[in-house]
Amino acid sequence: MKTLIKSATIIDASSEYHLQTKDILIENGTIIQIDDVINESVSNEINLPNLHVSQGWFDSSVSFGEPGYEERETLENGLLTAAKSGFTSIAVNSNTKPVSDSKSAISFLSSKAIGNAVNLFPIGAMTMKSESVDLAEMYDMHTGGAIAFGDYKVPVSNPNLLKIALLYAQNFGGLIQSFPHEKKIAGKGVVHEEANATRLGLKGIPALAESLQVARDLFILEYTGGKLHIPTISTEASVKAIKEAKAKGLDVTCSVAIHNLFFTDAVLDNFNSNFKVLPPLRTENEVTILREAVLDGTIDFVTSDHMPIDIENKKLEFDLAEYGTLGLETAFGALNKLFGAEKAVTLLINSKERFGIPSNTIQVGSKAELSLFNPGESFVFTSKHIYSSTKNSAFIGSKLQGKAYGIYNNNQLVTF
Amino acid sequence: MSELSVPHLLGIKYINEADIQLIFETADQFKEVINRPIKKVPSLRDITIANLFFENSTRTRLSFELAEKRLSADVVNFSAAQSSVKKGETLIDTVNNILSMKVDMVVMRHPNPGAGVFLSQHVKASIVNAGDGAHEHPTQALLDSYSIRERLGDVAGKNVVIVGDILHSRVALSNIFALKLQGANVKVCGPKTLIPKYITSLGVEVETDLQKALQWCDVANMLRIQNERLDISYFPSTREYVQQYGLTKPMLDALDKEIIIMHPGPINRGVEITSEVADSDQAIILDQVENGVAVRMAVIYLLASKIK
Repeated sequence: MKTLIKSATIIDASSEYHLQTKDILIENGTIIQIDDVINESVSNEINLPNLHVSQGWFDSSVSFGEPGYEERETLENGLLTAAKSGFTSIAVNSNTKPVSDSKSAISFLSSKAIGNAVNLFPIGAMTMKSESVDLAEMYDMHTGGAIAFGDYKVPVSNPNLLKIALLYAQNFGGLIQSFPHEKKIAGKGVVHEEANATRLGLKGIPALAESLQVARDLFILEYTGGKLHIPTISTEASVKAIKEAKAKGLDVTCSVAIHNLFFTDAVLDNFNSNFKVLPPLRTENEVTILREAVLDGTIDFVTSDHMPIDIENKKLEFDLAEYGTLGLETAFGALNKLFGAEKAVTLLINSKERFGIPSNTIQVGSKAELSLFNPGESFVFTSKHIYSSTKNSAFIGSKLQGKAYGIYNNNQLVTF
Repeated sequence: MSELSVPHLLGIKYINEADIQLIFETADQFKEVINRPIKKVPSLRDITIANLFFENSTRTRLSFELAEKRLSADVVNFSAAQSSVKKGETLIDTVNNILSMKVDMVVMRHPNPGAGVFLSQHVKASIVNAGDGAHEHPTQALLDSYSIRERLGDVAGKNVVIVGDILHSRVALSNIFALKLQGANVKVCGPKTLIPKYITSLGVEVETDLQKALQWCDVANMLRIQNERLDISYFPSTREYVQQYGLTKPMLDALDKEIIIMHPGPINRGVEITSEVADSDQAIILDQVENGVAVRMAVIYLLASKIK
């Protein structure tokens, strides 16, 4: 079966066609021709306004709900949401019920995505039940396809446990994730501790709660060696510490959630629980520093940190609502608005290497794994743009720039 | 101006100075009413008010209930421990159920900050915040300012120190907003562990020495140490707290001026203030309680007139 993508501007710095507008012919999932104009009668022709294509996007932190929290999201609709949002590959967090802490849990997730247009890569829990007490069988999960090990938003409270995990995972080159959050310092905080929290009477999480844990983890990494990924940082001090660690030659990467780049804590004024996220939204000053760190590469990549929460657990008094926002649907529109299309695309593909995900340069002979999008469209994001089963998006009402059309991957076209 | 700029009273930060003056002028009239032999007016005979208290309260609830009854409103009361509400019905459902019985106004106390704001976005009724977590307690701040105005003639330009647990206090926050709005100078005083790190962003100064704070101020508002809100120990012992932040008569006598002592109640005698201070002429604690009824009558009357 052949598919012809008409008049697409290619954004792929590794491709000879970078920034050129071409027709792309695909046969059985492989790119067989790229030319100015291809006139061939095919069963499937894609002709969309201001169409741009890039290598398929990857998100390193996505949560759905299956198994255990199907009221949040099923794998089927979650993967469809990812596809419509332009993602060809996603890493699924271990925060299911039961927690993905065994090879069978990893296999379950992988098997559910067989034949899907989106590639699903499970992240295994680092500790049993993500209780931060006993190590989970990381090697077994590794052989079953887990690409990294972490307990999602459960911080490793015992430093010795992180030490052991970092040492042990070196046996098989495993990547350890440690969520930077010192629980005792964070206390009962629910938002960033500064002027806005004070004004609103909401308990604050000091930036110190994050930076302290980052500093601790980096000291441990320096001792153990190994590979550490610190997901979703949000403070100036974390950026500084990670920059220094990289200069020392430590094998550390970090990410930032797109909503932490897009919003400041000024949006909390109405106590809208869609803005209740962890790490919390920070101040203008911190957000500026985070954006700079993304541009200079100190922050290695971004993530939507997609987290569907059912209305029963979200539309509540701020203190009682669960943490998390949807993010897949708005990832490109937000990044493109902040950084422009070329940088947005880079940020959406450059975490693949860290997680061992293959990338496919847009060239003849490559696997056709493409994200399709229109960077020109400016629109106000509303709940009708949400593909997820729940509607807990912090971006509702925000003006975004650019929209994904969908993906072409695994010999399948998915568009919204 | 003869009406409030807002349909709800969710916090002082949502109203303006003209609103405050309107409330005070209205309260002046109601204060006269409640000192008559017949303390009741028929103003709100067609209004039904629900007092929803999701957190324990005696004096605030009593004060609101009296205010409502003296305006001839129909009153229903609802109390629930937060835990039972959390497990079952949501706040929106609870309130909508009560509103279905044709209630016009809701007075709500709730343990979570922003609960009043949240509710106002989801139900159709006028909401009066009677305290939401560590966020705001607007009627308390209004009655405090009203009492200062009554005693000193004006709030503008006065130096007010708020002493004690600022960290967990909605009274402190609402008072800061109200006093700043009226042009008063505000300091907070207490151990650093009980003062929010970023409190100066609200335009107040921090003073950790009570004696210095007293020398500076015209009014000292002494807050209660809310032991029930302290999840960890913020100071070693009550004894040591009293040594540093307990207000005594000799301290007042040592000042070269006579300052006013306020307290939102209930008082821990011998902790934040001694009995000698609480019962002195300088203390206007019982005036505050009396003014509370008049100010709450004013707030309810003005909000009800917007419903009509």
